[in-house]
Amino acid sequence: MRMPETSRREPAENVIPLINIVFLLLIFFMLAGALTRPDVFDVEAPQTRSGRLAELPEDGVILLAADGRLAFAERQLNLDALQPEVADWLAADPHARLTLKADAAVSADRLLTVMDVLRDAGADRVTLLTNPADR
Amino acid sequence: MEIETQPRRRRSLVSLTPLIDVVFILLVFFMLATSFLDWRSIVMDLPGAGSTVAEESPALVVSIHADGALLLEGETVEPNGLARRLSEFMAADPDRQVIVRPDDSVNLQRITQVVEQLQAAGAVRMRLDRGGR
Repeated sequence: MRMPETSRREPAENVIPLINIVFLLLIFFMLAGALTRPDVFDVEAPQTRSGRLAELPEDGVILLAADGRLAFAERQLNLDALQPEVADWLAADPHARLTLKADAAVSADRLLTVMDVLRDAGADRVTLLTNPADR
Repeated sequence: MEIETQPRRRRSLVSLTPLIDVVFILLVFFMLATSFLDWRSIVMDLPGAGSTVAEESPALVVSIHADGALLLEGETVEPNGLARRLSEFMAADPDRQVIVRPDDSVNLQRITQVVEQLQAAGAVRMRLDRGGR
């Protein structure tokens, strides 16, 4: 019995444009996006129209979620533990600037409680992070 | 005269498929790991700080009430009139500190809205303070 000859056909030539486009996308995402470490939890920063453009700092960022959770230096902690941590961080470099990434829905009461702790830790000013409002 | 036949295109020995696989994996990695958010910042003094320096003129107080009302030095101002009123004060003393006093239930989005108006009016030194209620 004769088997029908199976011909392994060469893939069509049009994989090349596909690869080109994938390479372009790859280069776009490598150059246009900023590789960032994911935060401990999601924070929806308040939206502003103006404000100076900030380079996202590497460390010294305090996260404050809408439900009151706190994180500093990639670790979630409670309010009592924040002050010694921040004081230690400031002791290493007294000119370092603290950054507060707080959720837009955080109440003034909670915000001021955290700010009081930062002041007690020895900081005198803080940088609030915001996102530009989309129009 | 003999016409030379075109040389046959030979198939490359290296297969493209693993290359495409790897590039796809890299692409997916960069798509998931990069963020396109851009960030703005507002620099604020912390509550109770900044009062060690002798002030030429006392700080201006802007209160934000829970119902949305804005008060400048105890007087109610129109939501859009704050920047105009404040710039009159700031013109007299550009270094004057502005204290923002939100009610406890006011959220950060509202505070930053007001702070933006203060910046537009020329305020440089701002701090938050407890407004109570």
